[in-house]
Amino acid sequence: MNTDFGRVTLVVLFAIVPIVGIALGMRAPALRSKIPLLVAFFAGLIPIFSMYIPKRFLSGDSGMSPRLDQWLIIVAGFALLLGLTNVISNSYRKISRRDKGWPYAIVLLAGLFIMGGFGIYGAISRQGTGFLPNGSPTPFRWVETTVFQPLQATIFALLAFFMASAAFRAFRARNTEATILLVAGAIVMTGRVPLLEFLAAPFPALHPAAAAASQFMGKATEWIMDTPNGAAQSGIIIGAALGAASMGIRVILGIERGYLGLGKGE
Amino acid sequence: MQALLLRLLALDRRWIFLLVLISVMTPIIVPIGLPVTTTSSTRSAFDFVEALQPGDVVWLSFDYGPSSAPENDPMAQAFLRQCFIKELRVIVTALYPLGGLGLANQSVAKVTAEFPEAKYGVDYINLGYKDGAAAVMRTLGQDIASAFPTDVNGRPVSEFPIMQGLRTIRQVDLVFTASTGLIGEWWITQVYSQFGTPVIIGPTAVSAPKYYAFLNSGQLVGMLGGMKGAAEYENLLAAKHETLGKYYRGTKDFTATKGMDGQTVLHGVILALIVLGNLAFFLTRGKKAGAA
Repeated sequence: MNTDFGRVTLVVLFAIVPIVGIALGMRAPALRSKIPLLVAFFAGLIPIFSMYIPKRFLSGDSGMSPRLDQWLIIVAGFALLLGLTNVISNSYRKISRRDKGWPYAIVLLAGLFIMGGFGIYGAISRQGTGFLPNGSPTPFRWVETTVFQPLQATIFALLAFFMASAAFRAFRARNTEATILLVAGAIVMTGRVPLLEFLAAPFPALHPAAAAASQFMGKATEWIMDTPNGAAQSGIIIGAALGAASMGIRVILGIERGYLGLGKGE
Repeated sequence: MQALLLRLLALDRRWIFLLVLISVMTPIIVPIGLPVTTTSSTRSAFDFVEALQPGDVVWLSFDYGPSSAPENDPMAQAFLRQCFIKELRVIVTALYPLGGLGLANQSVAKVTAEFPEAKYGVDYINLGYKDGAAAVMRTLGQDIASAFPTDVNGRPVSEFPIMQGLRTIRQVDLVFTASTGLIGEWWITQVYSQFGTPVIIGPTAVSAPKYYAFLNSGQLVGMLGGMKGAAEYENLLAAKHETLGKYYRGTKDFTATKGMDGQTVLHGVILALIVLGNLAFFLTRGKKAGAA
């Protein structure tokens, strides 16, 4: 059995300490928030230290930080399971109470169990979720291509209709800011597609002028996207990253405790 | 006149829906064949792939679902065709939970049928879907087999010649992510920034503005922005590789180049609606102010 320092430390921090914490929390409710804070503290600190301290037990191939990354994939799998439980319990409650829209909850659960059932069947029978050796689709694949994909595509395609309607009704040059937005939007919409060539198609004499104007609009679009848009996006991304970093520090230091899901005073 | 404009403003939106339907459907049924100009971000992506040598390893990640497939499918398929014609070795993954793997399987099956000489496990491999995208990417920097111990069919990756000697994503020459949402950004922040593997992104048109910041900072090799970017790539590909032209010229299949016809007409319709709406708004506002 491999008992290197990193592995032992991880087992102590993320297996023994939480178990001890649960046991203590059952006896003394005041302690319920202490151990999770300790676990979060080390889970946050280890990846940060691994960036700056080149020690094998910390950042080596089988060090603490890479191992935590692998555990994260497993935990993400459990998050899916948690989501599944949540969907089932909420839908069941809605159906049993005959809340508004309860028939849709039946459709949701039917979709969940049918797709889940076909997926599990594919795993057990070793057919997978793709195609059978004779080229025909597995049941999971058939439902995915004939039901799921068209439904998802349809929902997204509806956006075009609502965007056109909303643009007609709400996109007005009411003030300076709205006018700037409108002009920039119109330039980008024209520059991203060969609209001028399309409009000039019935008039051959206008083709060269339309092509030149289209090129100019294309360059104007690239400038808008590269310069004002690029600068604004950089600011947003840097701001969001600083916000995420400060939130991370708050969680590591135990200042932010909302994720614990505890009541007041705990 | 005022009455007409007021009637226009109160137009039933179902007429607008009908107009949108006709303007999108007509060019798909009767293609117009409008020209597609190339932007610098698509050109740099294309040139980077062209500069790769036979045997180089590229990673193609299907990080989108059916909702954005008309935008993302053509770019992923064009990239895959370019890889096969240049004899690059391709590793396929899907990190988007809602149908990413299904679309990956579909595109891989379609393009590999066009290149019967490409052998599974030697020239390409499909590693399937893995949950926890950002954590998966970090693990790829340490050990690919830890994140993807088996291929999509459940066979250990160590069995395949393409994976021999390939331990981490640092050894991969390029990552191409056709993506929607946040996953594309994670390839930049988790893989390029930490392991140095170059990244090309093919985002949906609505996500594309965000990636200009990464392009400007040099963290992206190139970008195929939405259907327009995919159409540009298809045109570059057809122009450079004669044999690939048949997949883009005179084909009945949907291509981004064909899709651009519909998008052009629709942009024209939306712009006309915006102009009409503003015209009606200003003229009726002037009348109202005069009446007051």
